[in-house]
Amino acid sequence: MTSKTEEKISYIALITPALLIYLAVIAFPIVFSILLSLTNYNGGKIFGNPNIKFVGFDSYIYMLTEPTRNFYMALKNNMLIVAVSVFGQIPLGFILAYILNQKVVKGSNFFQTMIYLPNVISPVIIGILFKSFYYGQNSVFMEIIRKFKPNAEFSILSQPMIPVLIVILWMYTGFYVIIFLANLQRIDSAIIEAARIDGANERQILARIVLPALSGVIVTCAILAISGSLKSFDLIYVMTGGGPASQTRVLSLYMYFMAFMGAPNYPLANAISTVMVIISFILIILTRRVEKIFGGKE
Amino acid sequence: MKQAKKTMIGILMILMLVLGFAACKGKESGKIELTVLNYFDMTVANASDEITVIWDQFEKDNPDIKLVREDLFNEPFHNKTESYAASGQMPDVIYAWPSGRSTTLHSQRLLKDLGPLVQKDNLAPLYTPVALDPSQQASGYMGILPQSMTATNAFFVNLEVLRDCGLEPAKTYTELKAQVPILKAKGYETILMANEDTWVMQSCLFSLVAGRFCGEGWEQKILSGQAKFTDPDFVAALNFIKTLYDDGIINRTTITTGYGDVVGLFATNKGAYYIDGDWRVGAFITDKSTGQALISPDKQKDIRITVFPEIDIPGVKLNRSNSVVLGVGWGMSASIPAGSAKEEAAWKLIKWLVGKDVLAWRVQTGGVPSPSRTDIDMGSLNLEPMQVAIANLGKEYDKATVVIDGAFDGPVYTPLNDGLQAIGMGSQTPQQVAAITQAAFDAWKASQ
Amino acid sequence: MAARLENRNVSFVVKFCIYAVMLAFTALAVYPIFWLIIQSFKTTQEYLTTSKLAFPRNWFTGNYPYSWRMGKFGTLLMNSVFYSVTTVLAVVILSLMAGFAFAKLKFRITPLLHGLFIIGILITLQSIMIPLFLMVNAAKLYNTRLGVLIPYIGLGLPMGVYLCTEFVKSIPNELIESGRLDGAGYMRIFSGIVFPMCAPVAVTLGILTFTGTWNEFILINILTSSDAIKSIPVGVARFSGALASDYGKQFSALVIGLVPILIFYAIFRKQITRGVAAGAVKG
Repeated sequence: MTSKTEEKISYIALITPALLIYLAVIAFPIVFSILLSLTNYNGGKIFGNPNIKFVGFDSYIYMLTEPTRNFYMALKNNMLIVAVSVFGQIPLGFILAYILNQKVVKGSNFFQTMIYLPNVISPVIIGILFKSFYYGQNSVFMEIIRKFKPNAEFSILSQPMIPVLIVILWMYTGFYVIIFLANLQRIDSAIIEAARIDGANERQILARIVLPALSGVIVTCAILAISGSLKSFDLIYVMTGGGPASQTRVLSLYMYFMAFMGAPNYPLANAISTVMVIISFILIILTRRVEKIFGGKE
Repeated sequence: MKQAKKTMIGILMILMLVLGFAACKGKESGKIELTVLNYFDMTVANASDEITVIWDQFEKDNPDIKLVREDLFNEPFHNKTESYAASGQMPDVIYAWPSGRSTTLHSQRLLKDLGPLVQKDNLAPLYTPVALDPSQQASGYMGILPQSMTATNAFFVNLEVLRDCGLEPAKTYTELKAQVPILKAKGYETILMANEDTWVMQSCLFSLVAGRFCGEGWEQKILSGQAKFTDPDFVAALNFIKTLYDDGIINRTTITTGYGDVVGLFATNKGAYYIDGDWRVGAFITDKSTGQALISPDKQKDIRITVFPEIDIPGVKLNRSNSVVLGVGWGMSASIPAGSAKEEAAWKLIKWLVGKDVLAWRVQTGGVPSPSRTDIDMGSLNLEPMQVAIANLGKEYDKATVVIDGAFDGPVYTPLNDGLQAIGMGSQTPQQVAAITQAAFDAWKASQ
Repeated sequence: MAARLENRNVSFVVKFCIYAVMLAFTALAVYPIFWLIIQSFKTTQEYLTTSKLAFPRNWFTGNYPYSWRMGKFGTLLMNSVFYSVTTVLAVVILSLMAGFAFAKLKFRITPLLHGLFIIGILITLQSIMIPLFLMVNAAKLYNTRLGVLIPYIGLGLPMGVYLCTEFVKSIPNELIESGRLDGAGYMRIFSGIVFPMCAPVAVTLGILTFTGTWNEFILINILTSSDAIKSIPVGVARFSGALASDYGKQFSALVIGLVPILIFYAIFRKQITRGVAAGAVKG
């Protein structure tokens, strides 16, 4: 057996199990879902249903032009979540990690544990908790407020996304704290020490040494954050159900309502999910570009 | 230490694997097996009795039938129903709505037409005529045998609060409006409602209001193209909702009041009135498992239940009306062959589930306020005052109009539901909501 | 040395602020959970009619036995452990195999296949649940444990392959080449050299997969029908949601769902906080 055939056989043997399961569980359903988005299928039996026809991009056109403009509202909210994740969670996670890494506070391990805690709890439970706790006129939060200001009214109706964004910020920041902390600890302290001797101040060290060293990690985090925020569903579904008046609806919720509320519109639902994949794909390619332009060496 | 942990984990995993695959069960022979999809709120008072009173009892009475039951609740139930529908493999017996969330089952004819079976067993004398009227169901045939009639507007009046303010129950909209400042001065809300979920306003209040402004049969005129949502009477109905918010009769903060919380607010005298559906009485009565009630039977005497007061505004076509729709019920998979032993077993189960014993039990435990059967003697049941009041709600109105999410499809009523909330928030005008609804209706009509 | 120097420079105010931020995060995480546990000892009537901040007047313990029995949580707990453990094992092993092949064996098809897996990270579960349901039905795996496990493993793979490929790339090529010079085949190199070095990424992936599987709800709800093979989130969902009518029972079910994962976290918290980071560290 030559080395090349051996390599080929090994390659196939190593990849096939994962690939087969992946194709069956994810790839095939995706193709299926894209195909469905091009038909007029509307609930009921899929196989052997004589009424199903191909209608091309009708659902996509409908999605972009229908009168209630739900798609744009949902897209806007998704972009807000992406923004909070990339420009909120990641910097905040970095700052907290940086502080913990300076070892000026005691109990760093304890704080790490606590900050990461929300990541292991089911988003459904967190959603129910926060709904009872913060959301609405009769929440625990308002009860505390009313202890100081008896006539206080719950007044975020004009900006209903804000509490959702706060919870998202709180939930996932811990994940990035942990990742950044581990990477900060890996940076060779001799380099920093040398820079300090050369007279560099804290800000210069941060900008010239620490951040470039972490650029690869930041990109990984950004990719995780973007894909995670486009998919966010459970939390918002439980917390606000997309309301009031659809103002906290995100794409995944919009898709879900189209697929499972009353008379389903599967082609539209599948068109929305296809668009979601395309959007996250574009965002991730953009992230990589940004890294190439600004990123230092890894 | 590390080794010990590793060994422990290893043993645990093997244990799991063995346990996991060992749990295969054999099939009993000679029995007819029926799969059942049940909608089951395990948190409702007396839920634990449902299993013994309804399900175990049926199997005891019918030793030749084995039930394989799946209990689901809320959204998971609907997800599962749509999945079954997509695969074309329905459970034999299924809990379903006459339209609304169960539209797929009806429109794709996944439910068997129960009409012939009802006729064969001559059930007509036992049920109220509306319950057996096929035109009340989404596709014009009898997909389910309903267990109740549902009045979606119940106007709860808290006499204790009104007495505290020296007021009498308002009979008209004008009287209601005049009470707002007096109630507010004492720290009371006027009408409590849970408007966080959009369906509540549409189902529990706006359907009634639309009926009163647009008259009986208004939905038929729209469906046939004779009228539009943008016509002045429908816009006036929407405008009335805006007026209720503007007058402070309904507080804008109700838009963040959750459906589960509003009952607590009403029970603690936070408001003088409260709007919900007739089904909600079940939340106030005594839970036998804890012996506690949100409003004790003694205090329930101070709660009056009627319909929304007379709307004394020019242009209103009806008063003393309510929005009424068929309640939920039970259907059978269309794939069960006619005349088969399985059909007979499934039909037996449905007749039991919508039969006298089960419905009497459901009435008594608060699950069903007004049963579809006529042979249940309400007087003989042990009911609390609010249950008696809700059973008599039918005497408070003379005319019945449609509930919008029962008369129209999802793509039409969803924008309307959202629009009603937007009116409350002030982000859309009644005219805009009417225009959006009409546009959604036109798009829906074009796709049919 | 550096740390000590900085220590002296940090003023009391800065220190105070840092502690405040840290404690705020801690309180945000802990207080709602504490609150939930307290409220689960009230009847729904007491919860709705008294202050939501107050302790119960009488500690009502009836919610727990009720929820445990009605929700069949004993069975569900065993099932959850089974699904999570098996999925973790399968995902870690399969991802490492594929990751090694993608990172170290040079074939022109690699970018294509690897890209295919990456797209999987972006998929929302809701969009594939109906096709998946149809396939599981067609394969006669509906309402079987295997019919749940295969999709779970498949869902874990995209993230797994991504993390493992990145990690294996950081293993020096010299190690593999020296293995080759000793005459070892790629399978030997994988099992003998690469696999043992991958403990960090295995832990990371294992933890992410475990929590993901443990909390997964949508798929198992549609892919199973009998209570004997469902998992804890399905049980919790039967008690919760917009139309649930009893807060006491709902909260007790939530606590039952929460406790196992909290215990898991308490035992493995060091491994978890270190582990998550370890695998995500890029070379």
